[in-house]
Amino acid sequence: MSCSRIRKWIPLYAGADLPARKARRLEMHLERCADCRTEVEEIKTALDGIRAFANGEVIDWPVAEWNGLMARVKSERPKQHQVSRLGAIPRKAWAYGFAIVLVLGVAALILRSILSPPASPLLSEIISHTPAQPFRSLTIDEAAFVSYPQDIPFWVPREQGELDRAVLAAGPAPEKTTQDLMSMTLVSQETGLKVHWTFNKNFEWEEKKR
Amino acid sequence: MVELVLGGQTEAFEPLVTPYRKLLLTLAYRLSRNIEEAKEISQETLLRAFRYLGSFDRRRSFKNWLLQIEMNVWRSLGERAADEGTLRELAAWNTHEDPEERLAGKEAREKLLTCLDGLSPREREVFLLRDIEGRSVKETAEVLRTSPISVRVHLSRARVKIRRLVKDRFPGLMEAQR
Repeated sequence: MSCSRIRKWIPLYAGADLPARKARRLEMHLERCADCRTEVEEIKTALDGIRAFANGEVIDWPVAEWNGLMARVKSERPKQHQVSRLGAIPRKAWAYGFAIVLVLGVAALILRSILSPPASPLLSEIISHTPAQPFRSLTIDEAAFVSYPQDIPFWVPREQGELDRAVLAAGPAPEKTTQDLMSMTLVSQETGLKVHWTFNKNFEWEEKKR
Repeated sequence: MVELVLGGQTEAFEPLVTPYRKLLLTLAYRLSRNIEEAKEISQETLLRAFRYLGSFDRRRSFKNWLLQIEMNVWRSLGERAADEGTLRELAAWNTHEDPEERLAGKEAREKLLTCLDGLSPREREVFLLRDIEGRSVKETAEVLRTSPISVRVHLSRARVKIRRLVKDRFPGLMEAQR
């Protein structure tokens, strides 16, 4: 083991505060490292020296001051310690209680996620899973009388559409079925939002929302 | 004895705390480095101990409880004047020593204090409790209301600093050991 790693243990080892396993590893290192041995010895010497100074430094109260202090203390009344019911519960019991609440909370969350219905699919998923309706082309006349959904709260006719119809009227023969007009309604399951799209043959569209 | 005091026999408080009076005053002095402040801290400790004796948990060590109060008092009262540096007048204070003892005591105190000056307040608390007062790491943590890991970290730093301070200021001590 390198000196740089072992050196941080030396102060605790010098004061006999290093756990036994680490102390054994440090001692193995000390057998072959003179620098670290010197450091251990220096810390021990410094601690012994300080303790020796400290032993010569015990301070006592002068008798008169001590008596005065005791007289002052005795003139007071000890406060009655009111132990609340919560305070009387040992810390261990609090820790266990907290752990139990935590475990129950996690279990409740897991159960909720298992038992609750699956989340609503996304709109894009609904569209991708909905089988496509067969196209039915409107004739130009049908297109002229196409009825729009009754549940649309408002409808702003476009002048552009009028022009388009005029153009269409001059187009191919009525018996020829071509896709001239198409409408599409998308309904959001989450919000109830309805989006109506109407396309003409130029693929222009109008959008109405509710 | 605690029960006697709580039962109204306040005279029982003096024999209860007398064994610790030197310890409390000496530790307060080592923390504050000022004898007047040490007396103030020690006095406040004893007053609080008396007032709150009812809250003392009988399963705990009374000595550690007193030390814990003293550390709290030192933190609240002691730090404000910790660096005023009026500590060197101590020699004339203790009138029970003869002049020679007083001089030797003064020298020892000053040597110790010059080393403690180099430690941070938290390092000093940990060092004094563990290395000077001989409390275990666990007891030190309990008194300081901290974790044993924190005690070890501060103790480790304090010992490294003490080694360097002793080596710088008292090189003869290191030489004598070799």
